[in-house]
Amino acid sequence: MDLTLIVVLVIALALFFDFTNGFHDTANAMATPIATGAMKPKVAVTVAAVLNLVGAFLSTEVAKTVSGGIIREGDGGVQISPEMIFAGLIGAVVWNMITWLRGLPSSSSHALFGGLIGAAVVGAGVSSVDFSVVLSKVVLPALLAPLIAGLVGYTATRLAYTITRRRDDKSERGGFRYGQIFTSSLVALAHGTNDAQKTMGVITLTLIASGALGAGSGPPLWVVVVCAFAIALGTYTGGWRIIQTMGGGLTEVKPTQGFAAEASTTATVLASSHLGFALSTTQVASGSIIGAGLGRRGSKIQWSTAGKIVAAWFITLPASAAVGAVAALIATLGTPGLVVDAVVGVVVIGGIFLLSRRRPHEQGAAMEVDVAATSVLSRRRARRLEKRGRIDTPASGVEAPFVRLDEAAPTVAPRGTLSGGTRPDKEENR
Amino acid sequence: MIDWSAFVVVALVSLFSAAALVSLYSLGLRLLTLEGRSTARAAAGYACFVVCALGVLYGIYLIVPGLHG
Repeated sequence: MDLTLIVVLVIALALFFDFTNGFHDTANAMATPIATGAMKPKVAVTVAAVLNLVGAFLSTEVAKTVSGGIIREGDGGVQISPEMIFAGLIGAVVWNMITWLRGLPSSSSHALFGGLIGAAVVGAGVSSVDFSVVLSKVVLPALLAPLIAGLVGYTATRLAYTITRRRDDKSERGGFRYGQIFTSSLVALAHGTNDAQKTMGVITLTLIASGALGAGSGPPLWVVVVCAFAIALGTYTGGWRIIQTMGGGLTEVKPTQGFAAEASTTATVLASSHLGFALSTTQVASGSIIGAGLGRRGSKIQWSTAGKIVAAWFITLPASAAVGAVAALIATLGTPGLVVDAVVGVVVIGGIFLLSRRRPHEQGAAMEVDVAATSVLSRRRARRLEKRGRIDTPASGVEAPFVRLDEAAPTVAPRGTLSGGTRPDKEENR
Repeated sequence: MIDWSAFVVVALVSLFSAAALVSLYSLGLRLLTLEGRSTARAAAGYACFVVCALGVLYGIYLIVPGLHG
């Protein structure tokens, strides 16, 4: 067996996984600031990319195991071969591309776990997988993360609206935009320190398995550098489809909600990573946004979108496991199998990319930048007009389809005709 | 199996820290945008933002492994 070929393939694929991880997770940090106009889309992804790059260099510790205990590896367990890592990465990358095409935020680590499980089942049998760890590390957290983040996001949003409630119809909630810049930057930095490290771990463990590095050694500098740049480049590319889903597909996000949601995401992610109960950042971020949506009276949650996202979380593991298993099966043919795997993988990834270009009416990558930029511009323009007393709220046009049927539509009435008093829908429009 | 006590701790800490940060920031905004602002109000408003900034710095401290070993 050609050990150098497989090592090169694993490194290349791991870096591509790192890249997909970056653009998959830009949305966690930057979807709400982009949606509220706190940062322009290009500025937001640039800030996120730089913070991911910095974060990757700050993470010093690299995981001792590839799968984090899901596969019984190491002493007395199975040896995870480079072929299994390769097949697992194919599963993870393909699933990341599919969810990106559909604009669904899903956990990249879960995709990697799934791919490895599939590869391990084929390579070493079902007994090599510790299903109780799968339950406690993947399945239950996927249920709990959105619940806890939703509760935190809801509470934070209600508090923010209660504290800034005013009797005169003037709102200064635009000030929450500045706060969003800080909270979302923290999420991006945390992402860099956590996720680049996973790829560094995969590459380092592969190098150790191939004998290029001594057992127990840390990642060489070049591994750190390329992983950092791969995740930063992916982040900069921006998964606009996922940003759209999280920034506007779940619920229309106002600055107050955006700030509350990002603060909840930051608090929950930091608490979970430092108090010993790991939660997926993607799932926490989605939960916070839903919670923030529930917290503003008069806002609507698109539950069908939320349902699709949750369904994707639960399919992630088995789906990437299936792809990983098939890839591992082909890889058992030896070097020709690896080449077939690599070629098929490239074709599938290229095909998904082409598919994303062929449906620009849905969410073409280039178009989305324009759409996002225009929406920011038009909000600004709308605010300017609002100050001159021409129209009443920046988002009246957006709001219109979601006006509640049980109330007269207050958002379309010109501001001048509204008498004082409290009007929740109106009051909380920012 | 799942560590429920750790889960409850994470839930409570997240809830309180997010609520505290958002409340302080909102209070700061509120104090600075009140009609007829006085020096005392402005000072209180800025104090709220300073505490928020400290919260963000603590977040960075937690994120960067080199800072807390």
